[in-house]
Amino acid sequence: MALGRFLLKRGIQGVLVVWGVVTAVFLLRFITPGDPVTFVAPLDAGAELRAQIAADLGLDQPLYVQYVDYIAGLLQGDMGYSYLRGTEASTIVFARVPATVELAVAATVVAIVIAIPLGVISATRRREPADYGATLFSLVGISTPNFWLGIMLILVLSVQFDLFPTSRRPIGLFETLAFLVTVENGIAAPMNVDAFLDGLWTWLWHIALPAVTLGTYFTALVTRLTRSGMIEELGQPYVRAARAKGLPESLIQYKHALQNTLIPIVTVLGLQLGTLIGGAVITEAVFAWPGLGTLVINAINVRDWPLIQGSLIVIGTGFVLINIFVDALYAYLNPRVVH
Amino acid sequence: MSRDDSDVNRRTYLKYVGGTAATVGLAGCSDSGGDGSDGEDGDDGSDGEDGDDGSDGGDGEELPEPETREEHLQRANLRLNERAPWVYLNRQYSVYGIASRLDWTARRDERIEAQAISVTEGEPSVTITQSSMDSGLDPHDHRETPTDNIVVQAHDGVLGRNADGDIIDALATDYERLEEGRVRFEIRDGVTFHNGDELQPSDIAYSVNRVVDSEVGIESPQSDQLAGVTGAEVVDGGVEVTSDGVNPIVFSLFASYCKVVQQDWIEARETSEINSDMNGTGPFQVVEYEQDVQIVYEPYADYWGDAPEIEELTIRAASESSTRVSQLLAGETDLIVNVPPQEVSRVRGEDTTEVTAVPSTRVVFNAMRYDVEPFSSPEFRQAMNYAIDLDSIIDNVLQGFADPTGQPTLEGFVGYNGEVGPYPQDVEQAEQLVEDSGHADAEITLETPVGRYLRDVEIAQAVASQIDELSNVSCDVEQRDFASLAGEVTSGDIENMPHFYLLGWGNTTFDASQTIIPLLTSDGALSSYREDEEVDELMSESQNLPGEN
Repeated sequence: MALGRFLLKRGIQGVLVVWGVVTAVFLLRFITPGDPVTFVAPLDAGAELRAQIAADLGLDQPLYVQYVDYIAGLLQGDMGYSYLRGTEASTIVFARVPATVELAVAATVVAIVIAIPLGVISATRRREPADYGATLFSLVGISTPNFWLGIMLILVLSVQFDLFPTSRRPIGLFETLAFLVTVENGIAAPMNVDAFLDGLWTWLWHIALPAVTLGTYFTALVTRLTRSGMIEELGQPYVRAARAKGLPESLIQYKHALQNTLIPIVTVLGLQLGTLIGGAVITEAVFAWPGLGTLVINAINVRDWPLIQGSLIVIGTGFVLINIFVDALYAYLNPRVVH
Repeated sequence: MSRDDSDVNRRTYLKYVGGTAATVGLAGCSDSGGDGSDGEDGDDGSDGEDGDDGSDGGDGEELPEPETREEHLQRANLRLNERAPWVYLNRQYSVYGIASRLDWTARRDERIEAQAISVTEGEPSVTITQSSMDSGLDPHDHRETPTDNIVVQAHDGVLGRNADGDIIDALATDYERLEEGRVRFEIRDGVTFHNGDELQPSDIAYSVNRVVDSEVGIESPQSDQLAGVTGAEVVDGGVEVTSDGVNPIVFSLFASYCKVVQQDWIEARETSEINSDMNGTGPFQVVEYEQDVQIVYEPYADYWGDAPEIEELTIRAASESSTRVSQLLAGETDLIVNVPPQEVSRVRGEDTTEVTAVPSTRVVFNAMRYDVEPFSSPEFRQAMNYAIDLDSIIDNVLQGFADPTGQPTLEGFVGYNGEVGPYPQDVEQAEQLVEDSGHADAEITLETPVGRYLRDVEIAQAVASQIDELSNVSCDVEQRDFASLAGEVTSGDIENMPHFYLLGWGNTTFDASQTIIPLLTSDGALSSYREDEEVDELMSESQNLPGEN
């Protein structure tokens, strides 16, 4: 019950934050230099045509009317119309979401799979070669710029050794999974396992380098967090008591110490996942990965406001949702926060 | 036509053309420029003459009156070299990386027409990687080169151009000027759209009207590409196009712009459908289209011209030049655009890839506003040109992938003046001219977009540092977001324009007027240089004379 109230409270806070994001994004248009009409109208457009385009864009209305219209549109899933692309902004934005989410999640998985064992090993073998290796890896990982790492991975692993493709996303994970759950005329079609495996392999093969590139900083960060958290936990009295009780060392490390270490790590994971969703711009550009980051950059370059606003709102909302999820997980791991 | 009518028409026309080149230039430069192999060298600069601000008229020896349209344009270029409204910089190159198994000649207008690609080895499928994908497949609802490259594979124009930029027949087999403001196209027989329907003259008239008339379908952003054209109609089985005034470059415009669509097909579809499929008469038809990801074509079996050699064509995008180069080197693509100078050696270093470069239709310059000090002084403007070591900038910043310029019009264009070359660097003369201008110790700022043109910031920094080396002028650089700089330049009000700014200008009509009128005449939509009656007069007269095109 307490958990339910806690989540409800977080949910209401989340809605308020999203509202704030929407308002900020809406106002951004009015404080940024560059008239949106200039980018839509032909350059020989007369005042009449410019006025008409401004009216089409709703720019001739008072600010509060535009704001209310915008909120009302958003609530109906309408992010506006991209005049530059001749399509609804929501269609373009939502088409980009899966690529960005896949990349962010894959980078997070890379981080978790590598960082937590590495951090534990590093903490439990302090001042041994494994610890030095893990510390060095963390230092290099945190210091390496994404774009450089991405280009180097492409040059070495793709161009030189032909182990991975250089770039692109020929198939998405959801398209791959669709081979398993195809429904035709309301009846589930037979699973096409071969196509699924082919698709999955292609997807993994293409996402590997972008995920490693995006996840390296994250991996290094989590490794350091895990190491320092584990060192702290392993010095706690309850660990000494467990050892005195004769519990196996692996049980002490992984069941007791690590579980307590995970609480701050989960918080960081959540925050970082949100950051990855909005901050994968460079990785997306280097690997020609068609996600939200590159969409926002391209839209900013041509002042395609419906696309800019739609993308930012999706990114902001994603960030809020992830944080609510992390809060829930945090509450589960550490019930004291509920109170 | 009375003098008054002529003047009205001139103004209308100039306004149209002003807009045309504005969008041609700015939209065209969106693909951040090309580069390529060495350019030819320019002649020595002609000296800038002096003269008081605002005055006009020929100086020195008397030149004969120009008679033909081309002579008018050449004279305007001479005048503009002398009055130096710009710091003349370079002509960009388009530089492509290409798999050795392909045989292809790069075009000067930056278009990649895959029909011209031959495969000498391996699979007859070709992949092209550009810097971005399309902004929708409607042939009349875009302005940028990447979309053009995707649209031209499936759509033909009324006329076309070969790789050198010369006008060739396309869907029209003959064309003639009937009278002032009216031209006629005879339409090719036996042409079909990809859906099997036969091309009708009415489709061509509809296509023209769809571009120039906002009441026919869409508010086309290409309306100003057909400068001065007012409409089209079917007459006796041909198509007659009307213009405001003589419109001397009307055939040139149709050679570069206005792809032909099928009226019935367009009218039966929603905007979003038109933006996600194509039904043209071109050599390739669409097989698969994933927005922002890729488009796949196959040859159209009933194409009216020579069948393409390629059996499958794919166009993709990678915004990072290093990614495009890596794709080429890894054999994942066959042709890439905009190879930056620093990547050329990587491409040339492999046996399976090579670099091909061609002078583009884009000129890069520093505009100086004629109405503000110190740029109101012709001497000062000339001094800025004498301060620049253009060859050094081309060699060191652009690694040879550019040609120096000394006039707004590029070599090979109608109206290019072969007698006019780039300004030579002469620091002493520059300092003297600054003294003569009365603006010694001036402090100026060069505003430049970032990443819009090939090495734009580096060029601006080199220019500023060379100007700064003059003992009596100091210059620094301000980096600007292109959208905001372009917004000021295209605002239509000179008061909003920066005083001194770097810009690139693409002009795929191969005609001087499309650069000079919008940028350097009193009526120009983006003009930083006005009230030069001689230039205005020359351009006005040139537009009332029939041109070759």
